[in-house]
This record gives sequence, structure tokens and C-alpha cells, in this order.
Amino acid sequence: MVIAAVQNRCNSLFLLAAALLGTAWTAAAAEPAYRLLGKAAPDFALRATSGTNFRLSEYRGDVVAVTFWGSRCGTCGAQLSALSRMVDTYQSAGLAALAVNVDDDQAAAASFAVAHPVSFPMLLDPAKAVARQYRVDNLPLLLLIDRSGAIRYVHRNHRSGSDAQYLQQIRVLLDE
Amino acid sequence: MNRSHKIWTAWLVVVAITAMAVTHVAMAAAPNASPPGTDAIAPATPAPAGDATAAAEPTEPATDAQAPVAAPDTRALDEEIQSIKKDVVDLNRDLFVLEEELLFPANTQVAVFLSMDVGEFFALDTVELRVDDKQVTKYLYTPREAEALLKGGVQRLYLGNLRVGNHELVALFTGKGPNGQDYSRGAQLKFEKAVGAKYLELKISDRQRKRQPEFEIKDWE
Repeated sequence: MVIAAVQNRCNSLFLLAAALLGTAWTAAAAEPAYRLLGKAAPDFALRATSGTNFRLSEYRGDVVAVTFWGSRCGTCGAQLSALSRMVDTYQSAGLAALAVNVDDDQAAAASFAVAHPVSFPMLLDPAKAVARQYRVDNLPLLLLIDRSGAIRYVHRNHRSGSDAQYLQQIRVLLDE
Repeated sequence: MNRSHKIWTAWLVVVAITAMAVTHVAMAAAPNASPPGTDAIAPATPAPAGDATAAAEPTEPATDAQAPVAAPDTRALDEEIQSIKKDVVDLNRDLFVLEEELLFPANTQVAVFLSMDVGEFFALDTVELRVDDKQVTKYLYTPREAEALLKGGVQRLYLGNLRVGNHELVALFTGKGPNGQDYSRGAQLKFEKAVGAKYLELKISDRQRKRQPEFEIKDWE
């Protein structure tokens, strides 16, 4: 009787362990690692909605947040606002941001930019050449680039509480 | 009793494997304990020379008797580090030169440079180069780069290879013209590529008499 109970308990635990293993494995496999993480950020030059051209390599020595966004993306506006607040606060410490729009329709991007004013350049990439270079697979995609030009942190989504993570990681990069 | 013992042993093994697997997967997914959807890497910046020197120094304050002994060692180490750094820089330069020589041998090399003079009637935005009707480069200029050109900078816009013979180079310039309006002009040059490197220069200058910009392609003999 006792042996049967122990055996039952053992079976349950074994099943639980297997389920845990399976869940962990699935979670790891679902989101593949970002290939450019830890590598030098590819240089690019794009025109902003203001008409001025910007080049990433001109920000070498600063911590740069590069975000890829689209006007139909639900959480992009919230992320842009959060980044704008951080740039306002930490600009003097060496933080810069570039927002790259990947819409085909540049007018939609321009009106979105007017509706969501930010303190950094809104760049246009209608040909998606830069988006392809950066292997953008989700919007918004936020990359935090350190002072030496390497991609150090990647955020493939924006949730409530993401702001705190951005801030923590940006502070780490600014302190280096 | 023996069977119960075996069951408990099996249970312990399963728990240990599970714990190891979960830890391994968690570490692989987020090296810096980042939440799902976030990738991160640990700082990969090499420690600067100063840090290495600092690390070599004792953590506790040195006594008067120890200080004269420790100082020469630190200096020697610092000099050695500086020497190694210099060697690395020299090696990097040699590799760069070697790479260019291999990729663009002197007998097929073609280089196109861009210079700008005054710029009162033209604000440069992009330059597109076409060699034998094939686009080889399109460069977008930031205000800082345009300013550097106006201050006398010369940019190597293109470096490539061409076979010996006749070729055609077309340069398309876009920007803002004399009245701040969109302005687009082209320049063309037919040239003969002989054995040896070929250097061409795109020159943007102001033609004061016509109050217009002038675009020309010069062959550096």
C-alpha cells in the first residue's frame, strides 16, 4: 500500500519534471537569440521627417537607442514617448536616440510623427534597407548601443514595466 | 525496502536533472537575467590600461617601506602595455593596407574622390555614381559631412576595380540649389583605364559669374 503511494507520488513528480523541462525548452526555442547582439551596429544614413540626414556613426562615443517602428504598431507610440523622456533626462550624459520608421507610406509616418512629438530624429526607411540590415522581425524593436558602437541590449516588444528595464540598462551603458 | 530505495534514488536524479536543465535554459535565454523578449550580453569592453595597473596595485594602502619597491614594477607594466598597444595599432594598419592591396590591386584600381569649394549656391545631399551604366555607390551626406567638405576635406567616395579599356563615369548630385530649391545635376566623364591605378575627382564649386554651382569630373594624371 505504502509502496504504491510512493510510486504514484514518484510518477506525478516525474510528469511534473517532464512538463517543466518541456515548458523551459519551448520558451527558449520560441524566441531565437538576436543575431547581431554583441556585434558592431551596422552603420547607416537616413533622411529624417524634418528633411535632415543622420548617420549612426556620428554618434560614436554616445549611448544610442535605435528603435524600429511603424505607424500601425500599437505599442510603438508608448515606447517612443518613454524614450523621449529618457533622452530629455540623460542627453547631457551622452544618451541619443534614433527612431527608424519602416512604413511604405511616408505620409502616414510623418503624420504619426506629428501626433507623437519626440526629442530625437524620426528617420524614414521606406525601402527597408536598414531594417533588413538589422534583421527586424518585430515592431517595435529597440536596440541599445554602447559607446563603442556594439549592440548590447535588444527588446523585441514593449510592455508595461519595460521603461524601467530600458532605464536600468541605459544607466549601465552610460556608466561605462 | 530495496524497491523503495530505488524509487527515491530515481526521483532524486530526475529532480537534479530538471534543476540543471532549467538553470541551463534560463542562462542561455537571458545571460543577464533579463525577462522574456529581452536579449542582453555582459559588458565585453576590455579593461583599459589604467584598470590593469590599478588591479596590479595592492588593495590596502602601501606602507612607506613598500611604496618605492612597488612603483617601478607598475611603471614597467604600464610601459609594456603601451608598447603592446602600439604594436596592435601598427599591425592593424599593416593589415588594412594589405587588405586594400589584395582587394584592389594597383593595375585594376579605380578611386573616385569628392571635394567641394565654397558651396554658396549648392547644399549637398546625395551623390550617386554610375560606372558603365551600373550604380556603384549612392552616398547620403549629413550636415556635418557636408561641412567637413566645405572646410577643405576630400572624401574617397568609391574604390573599385576596372579592367583596362574605355569606361564611362556618371555622377548625379542632388541637394538644394541657389534659391533653396531642390536641385539635381549630373556630370559625365569618358576615360581610358590603363595599367596602373586610376584616380578621378568630382569637384563641386561655385560659378560666381552665373551664380550657379558647377560640377566637374577631373582625371588625376
